[in-house]
Amino acid sequence: MAVCVAVIAKENYPLYIRSIPTENELKFHYMVHTSLDVVDEKISAMGKALVDQRELYLGLLYPTEDYKVYGYVTNSKVKFVMVVDSSNTALRDNEIRSMFRKLHNSYTDVMCNPFYNPGDRIQSRAFDGMVTSMMIQARRGKESLVARAPGAWSPEEAAKGGAEDL
Amino acid sequence: MSRQANRGTESKKMSSELFTLTYGALVTQLCKDYENDEDVNKQLDKMGYNIGVRLIEDFLARSNVGRCHDFLETADVIAKVAFKMYLGITPSITNWSPAGDEFSLILENNPLVDFVELPDNHSSLIYSNLLCGVLRGALEMIRKPRCTADT
Repeated sequence: MAVCVAVIAKENYPLYIRSIPTENELKFHYMVHTSLDVVDEKISAMGKALVDQRELYLGLLYPTEDYKVYGYVTNSKVKFVMVVDSSNTALRDNEIRSMFRKLHNSYTDVMCNPFYNPGDRIQSRAFDGMVTSMMIQARRGKESLVARAPGAWSPEEAAKGGAEDL
Repeated sequence: MSRQANRGTESKKMSSELFTLTYGALVTQLCKDYENDEDVNKQLDKMGYNIGVRLIEDFLARSNVGRCHDFLETADVIAKVAFKMYLGITPSITNWSPAGDEFSLILENNPLVDFVELPDNHSSLIYSNLLCGVLRGALEMIRKPRCTADT
């Protein structure tokens, strides 16, 4: 059960970011943003030598006290980042892998939609539905999951990259 | 001439995804060119008509169905033979009008619309209008004069 799901484009701007409604959703955005550094590190570490064997699933990117962040990168350099609750009974690795596979499949379906221009925000209802099924149902029925417009980021900010002031 | 001999038995297989993506690209390009859903619908219908007048010859050559005696039979042949042959699906025939001169074909898994989600700014676009044109063209060639195609 994910707490936050994000799809990041090749140029490191978000195509889709969605989290469960809490008081401070911005912290998830921040976590996803900082995890991009770790993703880049892992990709460059795997390097040019073993391109065939390079796995799409990156595994645990970094743990914090409440959450764990997992990553997955496709061959077209589109990244999927998932934040899960640490307190949740430790999700097995293959469960996370299957969630990423579902995400990847839904993403390719979105790409095949002729009305979708690559690089646009993902607004597909089918994709939303699939992500909903992956998120924690925090309070049943009462709150609907909020899809945030990723307006807080901009390509220039992402290009600056590197260390955040902590 | 050898091509004609093989025609009955051979059916060339191709990727349905390529077909779907091609049709999707066609529709989106038309949308960009015309910018008006009604014009796009008309163009799709025209294109379908041109396909239909040619496709009917191929259909009659391949399927060997005889002359249909009434409209009911025509509906059956369209749904069970023609759609099966060209799209691999069998639509269901419903909604017969009381006079028996109108019916609806419901396509459950239309291969043309795999992966497609119509955005809100194209709400009056009839995406599969090409199929309507094909039916119109084909039926007109075998002289069913008052035939209209609706979605």
